[in-house]
This record gives sequence, structure tokens and C-alpha cells, in this order.
Amino acid sequence: MGGGGQGASDGVAIEARGLARSFGERQALLPLDLDVRYGEITGLVGPNGSGKTTLQRLLVGLLPPSAGRARIGGVELVGEGVAVRRVASYAPGEIGHYGELDLEAHLRFLVAGRESRCLGRALEIVGRLGLPRGVRVRGFSHGMKRQMLFAAAMAPDVAVRILDEPTEGLDPSKRAEVLAILEEDLASAKGPRAILLSSHHLGEIDRIAARLVFLERGRLLADERAADLARRARRLLRIRFDEQAPRERLLAAIDRLGASSLGWQGSTVAIELACDDPRPFLAGLVSQKDLPPPEEIAYGRLSLAELYRDLYGVEGL
Amino acid sequence: MPRPWWTAFWASLGYGILLLGALVAAIAYYPQFAENIGKFKSLAPLAVLKNLVGELEEGGLWAYVAGQQFFKGCNTLGTAAAVLFAAGAVAGEANRGTMEIWLARPISRTRLLWTRYAAGALALVAPVFWTTWTIPLQMRIFDVPGELGYGLLTLAALHQSALLLAIYSVTFACSCNGRHPLRIAFVVLFLTTLQFALYLVEQLTHYSLFRLTDVQHFMAIAKHGLDPALVLPLVGVSAVSLAIGWWLLRRRLPL
Repeated sequence: MGGGGQGASDGVAIEARGLARSFGERQALLPLDLDVRYGEITGLVGPNGSGKTTLQRLLVGLLPPSAGRARIGGVELVGEGVAVRRVASYAPGEIGHYGELDLEAHLRFLVAGRESRCLGRALEIVGRLGLPRGVRVRGFSHGMKRQMLFAAAMAPDVAVRILDEPTEGLDPSKRAEVLAILEEDLASAKGPRAILLSSHHLGEIDRIAARLVFLERGRLLADERAADLARRARRLLRIRFDEQAPRERLLAAIDRLGASSLGWQGSTVAIELACDDPRPFLAGLVSQKDLPPPEEIAYGRLSLAELYRDLYGVEGL
Repeated sequence: MPRPWWTAFWASLGYGILLLGALVAAIAYYPQFAENIGKFKSLAPLAVLKNLVGELEEGGLWAYVAGQQFFKGCNTLGTAAAVLFAAGAVAGEANRGTMEIWLARPISRTRLLWTRYAAGALALVAPVFWTTWTIPLQMRIFDVPGELGYGLLTLAALHQSALLLAIYSVTFACSCNGRHPLRIAFVVLFLTTLQFALYLVEQLTHYSLFRLTDVQHFMAIAKHGLDPALVLPLVGVSAVSLAIGWWLLRRRLPL
């Protein structure tokens, strides 16, 4: 396997320190520290314009950072990042393609500079995804082109795969197939391997990612293990009150009961409990007769989008 | 342009065939031209053209061949080819949205640039040489009296190639910074056409770039060989343009 050098021993596949990028006055990515570990899929999530693509381009050397440093697969990111791209494959989010080439010729172009058996592996993947080999790429749908780029990024035997929305535009069955390929790839890797995956489909990220990195407006908002997030999700409670309910008194009561309020959305307050069982808190709340009665209580596993909205107040996912 | 060498081969072949066609017609016509050169001189509408025909009359076969193959053929078709081959080299990737997949492979930008540059440059100059080397054969086929040696023809092709490469390299550097190959091609073709037009204006002819590849210079090559004072600056322009292109591509965002 290419890569997995220094980073393999400490288990860190991607290490970024103070990595930042600005375009003129606009700060696309604020200084960010990030560790992506081998042996797991890390989900990169955030609304449009949050800096996901910028971060991924920085990590493969396609964009020079304005500040900071990064080490990918044990290789320090310097200059234009050729050494990094030898140990890390990348599927871009932008679907550029050469329409005049057929699928095999296009894959050959995409895996140029890689080991020779890479093309065969890419052809296996596109075969599994059901793409027609002899057809010119200009006749491909958006999703088919996306799968072609995905196959080319999955083919090399590298330590790190960085995939920018590989399931965007795919139908549910193809999305499931792509996710299955990702999981198999990680499970069958002969050496250390890590996958950094961005997606707008939070459900699928939630399903396969062991860790979630959340960006918003170029800022790293959260970096937590999916299991920890799930634990926090189990402690989230949403209670809707009447529009006229006294919010200050409600928040004070929540505080007294040992929970923390995460904020209001309309007349609904999101609450993070101190333990997994909501009953003591709810009993305590209901027993306070001076407070208005709740109109609706939502408890249980929330979607990732709801979680991020409740935990961090980010809309637009 | 996912396969630069393959694309360059076909482009070069097409442009070479055009160049060869023009040359064949010119050489086949030479005996008639030699007979009627006096009439051509009297019919020439511009003083510059009268001078040109006069130079052809004095220079004989070599002046005529050099005028047809280099001053006319290469300076028109060759310049167009130089601009068209270079304009899309990098800007074409941005224009069709393939810049990111072109740059995202584990291949250095220096190598990407050099491959594109070399493929286009070879496609541009190869036809100048191979069509020029067919001149002795054509002279035999069309019973053109006289003899032109391969040494002289090669030196002349080298001199011409230096100018074409300079035009190609400047356009290539523009392409390394641009997103619209057609716009680059139109601008450079407009400027080169303007330069060619300047050649025909008696008062301004010395400001024309194509003065470097007119009949007088090819007559001088026949007498004294290549003039480094002309060729080296052109090579320098190419080298500087390539260096600028390299610098621009290294800074280029994958958008």
C-alpha cells in the first residue's frame, strides 16, 4: 500500500493544524485543527458554503493553504501536494468530464499516475455499479459521472480516501451500493486506511461514519464520535409550549432541574438532559404548577439534521 | 484535452496537410511564375508588394520557395495553428470544467504543463520541417529547374519555427491564466493579423513581427546561415513565456 508512513504508527491518517484558506477578503476556512484516524470513516458535514470542499481540496494539495499545515497518510502537505496525492485518492465534488472518452478511457485518465492494476480495480467497481463500459461519457447522467469519479477514487491502494459528496445525485439503490463499497473497502484494506467523506445525505453519514466533523461558515463547529453524538441524541428533548409562555421562567426551571437549554426555535425549546432517562426531568417540570403545561414533547432518536439544529443552531442542512 | 499527444498528432497532421497543399500548388506554379514575374511586379498594388516581387525576382528559386513556404504558408497557417494549439491548452480545462480532475491526479503540475507544451510545440513545428523537406522531391516531380539543399531548408525551417514557437509560447502563457480559450485565440489572432497588416504598410513595415521571417531574412540565411541575433531572442521569448506559464499554473486554483 502506498502511504501509511509515519501517520500509521500513531493511528492518525489526517492531521491538520491551524489549516486555513481565504479567497481575498473572504475567509473560506478559519484556522482548523483536525485529526482523522485510520480504520474509520469520518463524515464531513455542514450546510452549503460551510467550507467542506475547500477543506478537502486543501488536504489533497489542490489549494494552497493560507495558513497552517497538514499531514496526510504520514506525508507532509507541501507545495502542490503531489506526494500527498500518491497516498490519498480524491473524488471531486465538481463533475468535470471528458465527454469524448468512453468509460474505460476516462478511468484510465483518472487513474494516471497510480499503480498499473488500478484500472482493473476501477473497472470492477464500475461493473458492480452497473455503468456501461463502451459508452461515451457525454451520454452519462449526472449520477453515472459521479459514480465514475467515485470508482476512480476507490481504485488505488492508498492510505487515505477523500470523497466529496460521492452519493450526490444517485438514486437510493446506488447510494446504498456506494456505501456498501465504502464499508467493504475499509474492512478489506490490507494496511491502514481512512476515509473522509462529505455528504448532504445526513442519514447515510449517520449510518456509516464513526466520527462526524461539522463545519459551518468555514468554522469547525463540532468534531465528535458518532457514538457520542448518538448518546447526546438520546438525551435531547424538545418541548413545545404556548406562544405566550414565560420563557425566562421556563429556562430557569430547566436549569434548576439539572438540564441545559439549547435554545428556542419558535415556541419549542430544545433541552439536553443530564441522563438518558427523561422521566425525572419531565416529572419535575410537570410538578411545577406555576409553569404552563407543555403542548408537545418529542423525545427519542432525532435525525442528524435535527440534532445539529438543536445542538448548534445550524439551519440549512 | 485528455490525450494531448494523440490530439496533437491529429491536429498536426491536418495542419501539415494544409501547409503541404499550399506548398505543392506553389512549386507546381513556379515555372509559370518565373516566366511572368515582370508582369506580376507591374501589377502589384502596394509598394511593399512591388518590393517583395522584386526580391523574388532577384533571389530566384530560393526566394520564391522561402516566400511561399515560410513567409506566406507558415506565417499564416502556422500562426493560426500556434494560436489554436496553445489557446485551449490550459484555459480549455477551465472552460469545460475539467480543471479539477486534470490536476487532482498524482502528477505534478510541472509535468502536466510540460506535456501539454511539448505536445503542442511538436505538433506546430513538425509540419514546418517535414513539409519543407519535401521541397526537393516536389521540384523533381514538377520539373522545377535548380537545386535546394536539405541543410539550407532545415536552417530556414529552424528560423521559422523560432518565430512560431514564440507566438505559441506567448499564447500558451495566456492560456495558463485564462478560462476562455476562444477569447484568447481571437485576441492573439487579431494581434498577429494586425502585425501581418503592418508588414504591408511601407511606413510601418519595420514594426511588424513578420519582418523577421520575410524573404530578405531567408536570403541572408542562404548566404550566412542562421543569425543568432534573431533566433536567440525568439527562443528567449519562448523560454520566458513558458516560465511565466509554469508560474501561473502552479498558482492556479482548480476551478
